Amino acid sequence: MLAKRIQPMASQAKRLYVELMFQVMGRALQAVSEVDGEVQKEAQVLPEGFLFEMMVMPEGAKLIVEHIGGGRFHYHGDSAPRAVNVSIQFKHLTHAFMVLSFQEKTSIAFAHDRMLVDGDVSYAVRMTRVLNRLESFILPKIIAKRAVKEYPDNLHLPEKLISAAQIYLKVATHFIQTARA
Amino acid sequence: MSNSYYEFFCPVKVIAGKAALEHIPYELSGLAAKRPMIVTDKGVRAAGLLDPIIAACEESGLEIVSIYDDVPPDSSTTVVRDIAAVYRKEKCDSIIAIGGGSAIDTGKAVNILVSEGGDEIAKYSGAGVLKRPLKPFLVVPTTAGTGSEVTSIAVITDEKKGVKLPFTSSYLLPNAAVIDPRMTLTLPPHITAATAMDAMTHAVESFTCMAKNPLSDAYAAAAIKKVSHSLLQVMDNPKDSDARLELAQASTMAGIAFSNSMVGLVHSLGHATGAICHLPHGLCMSLYLPYVLEYNLETIRGPLGELLLHLEGPEIYSATPASRRAEASISALRKLRDALYKRCQLPRTLKETGKVTEEQLDQIAEMALDDGSIMFNPKEVTLKDARAVLQRAWA
Repeated sequence: MLAKRIQPMASQAKRLYVELMFQVMGRALQAVSEVDGEVQKEAQVLPEGFLFEMMVMPEGAKLIVEHIGGGRFHYHGDSAPRAVNVSIQFKHLTHAFMVLSFQEKTSIAFAHDRMLVDGDVSYAVRMTRVLNRLESFILPKIIAKRAVKEYPDNLHLPEKLISAAQIYLKVATHFIQTARA
Repeated sequence: MSNSYYEFFCPVKVIAGKAALEHIPYELSGLAAKRPMIVTDKGVRAAGLLDPIIAACEESGLEIVSIYDDVPPDSSTTVVRDIAAVYRKEKCDSIIAIGGGSAIDTGKAVNILVSEGGDEIAKYSGAGVLKRPLKPFLVVPTTAGTGSEVTSIAVITDEKKGVKLPFTSSYLLPNAAVIDPRMTLTLPPHITAATAMDAMTHAVESFTCMAKNPLSDAYAAAAIKKVSHSLLQVMDNPKDSDARLELAQASTMAGIAFSNSMVGLVHSLGHATGAICHLPHGLCMSLYLPYVLEYNLETIRGPLGELLLHLEGPEIYSATPASRRAEASISALRKLRDALYKRCQLPRTLKETGKVTEEQLDQIAEMALDDGSIMFNPKEVTLKDARAVLQRAWA
């Protein structure tokens, strides 16, 4: 009886968590593309105006970023100005929650068919590398190890701390700007 | 509770063995198909491989309405459109693809157009675009390697844009795959070796990469055993139809395995090398396999060690300490490659191919990093890692 009452609340909590994480990740993708040369190098290969989406099927939370040139991303929130080029789609809210709460690595989620890629797979692979790089920066090592296939052994603490501080500052600033607007 | 999860799907009816071709008329009649079209290439026709199929159909009163035998090695959107036009003009109602990967992929793409309508195959590119079953479709492989007869993907080149279009849908799977040893009896030694090593690689990567699962493992292990046991027999006696059938079945089993568990870095490097240096896919697989296994070794020690049983048999497996089995599996694959080199000069290094320059290695590494299969490699691969593997494979 109690479980039945709790279930909708748990589902709602999952939904809110995934929405919040997408908002943080979207802003963090924009931020990391402004501070990290490696991410810029990865993103530069993408066409200018390239739109990348992560979403929960069928009509759940989503994040959309655009490559605006020079390896920089712009976060569009949950609405795309035009059709997206590559979409990574979680089959269910639970699968998105498992990945975004670091219970399942992104690479494992792909291997477990939790997600679909719609669009050019090579760009999706590239965006996955960008996401891995971002997670390695912004998450404590112990949690990042649960999120990425392999934590980069050349990412040392000073670089990680400085980059993470810059990214979090930019994310916070973006949140405030959005709230004011 | 275990965190593991997997999906496994293979609805293709496999018709394998002696006189398998003679089952084609019955299978088509079961699908209410009366006017089949054959899609193949000139090599298959010139080798006389269509003759037993046509005869089998005629004996059952089934007329092959049309034969398109001009599928190129790298099929294109134009070819697909042309074949679809012939299909419609001749009022065909089913397709039999006979050949290697290109003819089979072309057959899959033609089936999309003739089932869904229109002339623009590009608009069906991508995953999950198709929403309903297509026309009756049979596949008769004439090589033992690609496994395309049981995979739900086709790749067609868009000539105008100069890109390869992938099509992925379970509806691309044929209704039946017909495996008959007569179809591979005349395969030249070099192609026999390369395609069998393609099957071996499908199976080994399926067994050691991230999406491995108990069902794909069973198919992969059985395929590895069959290739290990029969490949050199066929190389020494190409007319050994029993061993040929073993290789053909191994190819199909490896195809079922990898289409449900995906592949890894060997394929990423192979796809890039094929695109840049125009080397045959099977050759690339044979070439890279041991080097990639060495790279992945510490991540795959367990499953790779298990494969020794299927590669070398129970005696060597039991005589090898558990801690050395993974290395012994790589040695067994190297030994097999050496034996193939001795018999048909199948290259073991990039240098031996004579078609790759050392300057191209960086380009291959960069392209390999963007290949979809790299996602399923058990170990993360950086540009530096890919370059290192290529350098080891160089000479």
